[in-house]
Amino acid sequence: MFIDIGSSQKKKYNQNAYGDYFVTKRYKETGRVISILSDGLGSGIKANILASMTATMLLKFIEAQSDIRVACETIMNSLPVCKIRKISYSTFSAIDCDEDGNAKIVEEGNPQFLWIRNNEILEPEFKVITSKTFSNRHMHLYKIKLEKGDRIIFCSDGVTQAALGTKELRLGLRREGLIEIVLHKLQEEPDISSDALSKHIVRQVELIEPDHKLKDDTSVACFYFRDPRRAMVFTGPPYDIEQDNFYATNFYNFKGKKAIAGGTTANLVARELNLEIEADNAINVGKLPGISYMKGVDLVTEGILTLTKLSEYLESGLPLDDAAGKLMKFLLDSDEIKFMVGAKLNQAHYDPSLPVEIEIRKNVVKKIAKLLEDKYVKKVDVRYV
Amino acid sequence: MESIEVKICSGTTCFVMGSTYLNELYEIIPQLYGNKVVVKPSLCLGQCSSSDKHSKAPYVKIDDEYVSQATIEKVLEVLKKKVEHV
Repeated sequence: MFIDIGSSQKKKYNQNAYGDYFVTKRYKETGRVISILSDGLGSGIKANILASMTATMLLKFIEAQSDIRVACETIMNSLPVCKIRKISYSTFSAIDCDEDGNAKIVEEGNPQFLWIRNNEILEPEFKVITSKTFSNRHMHLYKIKLEKGDRIIFCSDGVTQAALGTKELRLGLRREGLIEIVLHKLQEEPDISSDALSKHIVRQVELIEPDHKLKDDTSVACFYFRDPRRAMVFTGPPYDIEQDNFYATNFYNFKGKKAIAGGTTANLVARELNLEIEADNAINVGKLPGISYMKGVDLVTEGILTLTKLSEYLESGLPLDDAAGKLMKFLLDSDEIKFMVGAKLNQAHYDPSLPVEIEIRKNVVKKIAKLLEDKYVKKVDVRYV
Repeated sequence: MESIEVKICSGTTCFVMGSTYLNELYEIIPQLYGNKVVVKPSLCLGQCSSSDKHSKAPYVKIDDEYVSQATIEKVLEVLKKKVEHV
């Protein structure tokens, strides 16, 4: 199974910093995922520091400890108390799960998470652990087995307490209201991605608040356990020209979505497999060559300039609708991405009379792979051929 | 009569060497020759890597003939000869 993770946050109205913090880490080798959503006391920069400290510390603790319970208990016992308000500095929800569906979840102070299977809410059993140092602190420990198609949703109390005190929702949105929003959306779009679902929930919360002004920081994190969407990008001709046919066939028979980044590479695949390339008639305006079409391949673009632009887009998160923007969408719509990078150089690119913006393919791909892994939590595999 | 095909390379080398300046050809050629000549972009003509020491990008292909270090004037000139020859 693949764990699709998405989160969305909105600040409290008139604040300039997020008071909630979501952090997630995927371990490629073991398939383990650790995520923490922490809500800092109050709002603004103070809450931001408290929440981010709690979340990052907890992540490191869980990573180092074999047991999430021990790690969370340590944090719970040591979180300081606000002198004025006599309440904890921050609350958290943490999940430690793997691709086989084994999950341990700990909650301290945050609203109870949702577990959805076949559009129904499951109510798992939990163990209450009371803090040894602060008798008013309890954490809930869940040990659950997830199946394909299951979803887990974490939220901060900004969601469940939305519209608190208004005429329509005197007690706020509460868990029931959140369930209604989520199930309604899932009926509409059963395969919705975690990213889209979390954005939808936050948007709905914003809409029910009077004047659409959020009274508290609002965060949602979604986890969706499903089959991975696979994609392959072939860029650069293979080092050994005699292997061209092997790699072209290998690429073409790949089960999943396919993209080619590189004119020479596309020509090679077309030649070896006897396919036609049709360049898009929309003339390349601006800074990038346009896209092309090839039967059986989802996207064909120019190589190094497009990849360089792509790495910029991935970094900024603000793509334009050009070839690199299309390639970015292609990649973000996938979970497991394989790069097949040909090691052969095009001597013409290193002609000193050429402008300097041509980068070395290996370096660009390395940068893209790192961004996809770290920033967009994708599983990336780079193979040099 | 078969139409003449003009392909403008938009591969990496040609692109950085200014093949976008040839974009005007997409307007000029139909105005001059109507549907006798078809002009379209090409992902890569593959000329830069196969040519000798210094590549002569940008390239334009007119039927089977390659125009290197192409400019609008150069392309139109070759094209004119082709059309008259036919």
